[in-house]
Amino acid sequence: MRAWLEAGLSGDRGPNPGSAARRAPILIALLALLCSAFSLQGCAAPSAARPAPHGEAPRADATSRGAPWLAGERSRYRPPSAEDVLFINATLLDGAGGRMDKGRLLLRGGVIVALGTELAVPPGVQVVDAAGRWITPGIVDAHSHAGVIAAPFDIEQPNDVNESTDINTAHVWAEHSFQAQDPSFGRLLAAGVTSLQVLPGSSNLFGGRSVVVRNIPGRTVYEMMIPGAPQGLKMACGSNPKGHYGAKGSFPASRMGVVAGQREAWLRAQQYHDDWQAWLAGERGRPARGNAAQPPARDLRLDTLAGVLAGDITVHAHCYRADDMAHMIEMAREFGFRIAAFHHAVEAYKIAGLLVNAGICAAVWSDWSMFKAEAVDGLRENAAILDHAGACVMLHSDVRGVGVRMNIEAAKAMTYGRRAGLDISEEHAIRWITSEPAKLLGIGDRIGTLAPGMEADLVVWSGHPFSVYSRPERVYVHGALLYQHDAPGGARAADFELGQPAREPVP
Amino acid sequence: MTYRRVLPALAVLLFGAPATGQAGEPVAIVGATVFAGESMTRFEGATVVFQGGRIVAVGPGAALPRGARIVQAAGCWLTPGLMSSDTSLGLTDMAWVPPAADHTLDSGPFGPAFDIRYALNPDAVLLPQVRADGLTRAISSPGRSPLPPFAGLGAAIRLVPGADDLLDRPQVALFVRAGAAAAAEAGGTRAAPWLLLRAALDEARTVLAGRTPAGERRLSAADVEALRLVLERSVPLAIHASRAADIREALRLKDDYGLSVIVMGGEEAWRVASRLAAEDVPVVLDPTSDALTSFDTLGARPDNAALLQRAGVRIAFAAYVGFRGDFDGGVALREASGYAVAAGLPWDEALRAITISPAQIWGLDGHYGAIRVGADADLVVWSGDPFEVTTEALAVFVRGVRVPRVTRQSLLRDRYLPGAATRGVDPADGDALGMLCTARPGPPD
Repeated sequence: MRAWLEAGLSGDRGPNPGSAARRAPILIALLALLCSAFSLQGCAAPSAARPAPHGEAPRADATSRGAPWLAGERSRYRPPSAEDVLFINATLLDGAGGRMDKGRLLLRGGVIVALGTELAVPPGVQVVDAAGRWITPGIVDAHSHAGVIAAPFDIEQPNDVNESTDINTAHVWAEHSFQAQDPSFGRLLAAGVTSLQVLPGSSNLFGGRSVVVRNIPGRTVYEMMIPGAPQGLKMACGSNPKGHYGAKGSFPASRMGVVAGQREAWLRAQQYHDDWQAWLAGERGRPARGNAAQPPARDLRLDTLAGVLAGDITVHAHCYRADDMAHMIEMAREFGFRIAAFHHAVEAYKIAGLLVNAGICAAVWSDWSMFKAEAVDGLRENAAILDHAGACVMLHSDVRGVGVRMNIEAAKAMTYGRRAGLDISEEHAIRWITSEPAKLLGIGDRIGTLAPGMEADLVVWSGHPFSVYSRPERVYVHGALLYQHDAPGGARAADFELGQPAREPVP
Repeated sequence: MTYRRVLPALAVLLFGAPATGQAGEPVAIVGATVFAGESMTRFEGATVVFQGGRIVAVGPGAALPRGARIVQAAGCWLTPGLMSSDTSLGLTDMAWVPPAADHTLDSGPFGPAFDIRYALNPDAVLLPQVRADGLTRAISSPGRSPLPPFAGLGAAIRLVPGADDLLDRPQVALFVRAGAAAAAEAGGTRAAPWLLLRAALDEARTVLAGRTPAGERRLSAADVEALRLVLERSVPLAIHASRAADIREALRLKDDYGLSVIVMGGEEAWRVASRLAAEDVPVVLDPTSDALTSFDTLGARPDNAALLQRAGVRIAFAAYVGFRGDFDGGVALREASGYAVAAGLPWDEALRAITISPAQIWGLDGHYGAIRVGADADLVVWSGDPFEVTTEALAVFVRGVRVPRVTRQSLLRDRYLPGAATRGVDPADGDALGMLCTARPGPPD
């Protein structure tokens, strides 16, 4: 599949160019889809057992201190300059399932200080009358390729999302492909998206490590990185990897090959992990197991997989079919890791109970189906059925066209569920694009809900956020007003956009 | 959502079996907010009556014929069935799966003569879903032919449930592609599609004049015949062009050869709006293709549709960004129309862009596109504003035939949603639709 996408982009004829090949936007979407990252979530190995709570990313603890797989803090994130604001008369959807009419919300020093209906106006605070407006947390997208497929998407071939030269590129990091000045970030901000997990693509079995960023203007990725957010490992099931390599006559050319290739890698990673843990134990003065006099030889691929086994790196797995997901769950059991989320997961509704029991989230689209064989059973009610079953579920984008309409994704997923007889409130559904992805990314204690003490990422919508007519009027990140719909001169242009025709005066 | 549990029994009790509109029996949809005529004029509490597949009465005071089956739709919105102006419907079930896709021609003697009508499949499994979402007509267009920049001849289709033929009007346009994708196929420069197109038109003219073209002949006899229709203006050239420079080139081609032209895509058409209006060249666009995504769309803006309409350009919508085109064609088209409104297009103009405007552009306006006496009964009863994704198509009629709400998707859902079997029949299968419209929260405020 990927092969013909690439062929389409380069103008060669693929096996089935289809309607996609005739239109650049479609190609772009296809490309992104192919590239889409699916990360498997790694979990604590039995030896380092620290099962993470349901739907939450694990955090490094003392057992991994000094381990080579830990990336260390690279972030140069500086909170933008925050405003002290009191919103009054707003309808608040807090992202945690709550709704407040005629609500007041106080931001100070970049943090939410209080919300309620009776808050007094503190001195020195700007008061914004938000009558008729709705305020939600900033949108969090757990599956984006912004920055690693920078717009215009045809500027570089190949783009930087897939290191598909090997079936296992667990050693590559999305942050090293990241273009901080991707013009898409401005559009995403204007659409209310304030945090994203940027993943490598899905053309190989292990796609590499993800990066979690805040949507603030940055010159480099380090200025956007959210401090303390764990890295994810992208894995992929099914037709993308088998199609990519099978088309070239190399391994794997089938689903069973994909699983075998992954198991082989985990087998080596287990040994590497155990050797390192033994050596680290010796360093800490505990009795060392085996030959722990020397540190094991470093291997960057195995670093990432061992980081998963140790519970320090989360696994995000691109899988469509129910049986693909079930195989992944078996693999996780065999090798002692945990999967944080299945991404795309179009058949997740078929195995909702399995996902609930395994504590694995599903990051899904509202309504994509029937574009390829493994999407044939896609259901619009996917998110609602999973939610009804008690599974952790969220909506994700994968492609730009969805990423700038995440509020409508939530509206559609809610509507399809209601139409099937499920009682889903708007304050519940908004969680699918705010607190649920924030928890998955390990930042849910700081971002994703409107509550005292949370960092102030929020969107002031012109109306109901589930209306197609509503637009973000203001977007705050960490308390800073970074987007205002009626700002003089319009929204901030990315460097690339300067002098381009979109900004010329209307004739 | 309690209506789901009480209403079905009530509906059947009061109204018996739901109106099908199939036989000759008249059906009256009463009490709805109706958007009637080519101007989409809004009438509150109006009645629309149809019989034998045609609309026979419209208006607040329309008389109810004896024996008419009544569909109660108070509080609901009633619009014409919607039309998407660029799809692969009827040609693909899964666009990426070759045995399930018939919209491209990769080899053989035909270029412009590639006519997709011979692949149209009324049993395509995507059709029931888009139909249930309110889509009743569509342009089914070819992806490409072995002779770039020609894609081939497209058709207008009508999605009548149970019919053994989808064809509404064949050969509505000859589709060609300009821009980066076509350039890559044709040699690597955006000049190539235009050079090849002009050479083909010149060759066809020469052959049609009874002369022998100098040099190598590239066109089959069938290709020459297809181009004859274009040169005689009985078939328009639908040119995929996003960049302003390519759109201007399309206008030059039109003038040089005296053609009828439709611009497809047209992300930068707003920059050429006054010329497009002056030369009456319509633009088919997707309002959600609104950003810098490629070197063809550096000038894309969310208000493209609004700017074009304001300048007097005829516009129609398609929803083909990403994967939204076919499997979700109905909802995506409504949503895209709403975005155009949010970006400044008047609401009724957006409705026109998915009903009467495409009917006029593609030559169907004699029988489809507006709620008026004599037109085909393509009608949708909505629970509210059709552009909101929270709105539901409660009843859809195509040429008077009621669209079943059971689709492969709904069957699959009912298999996997616990309790679905006891949830009862779909209340919208009955005729008391007004209760659904008033019982629902309606579009967000």
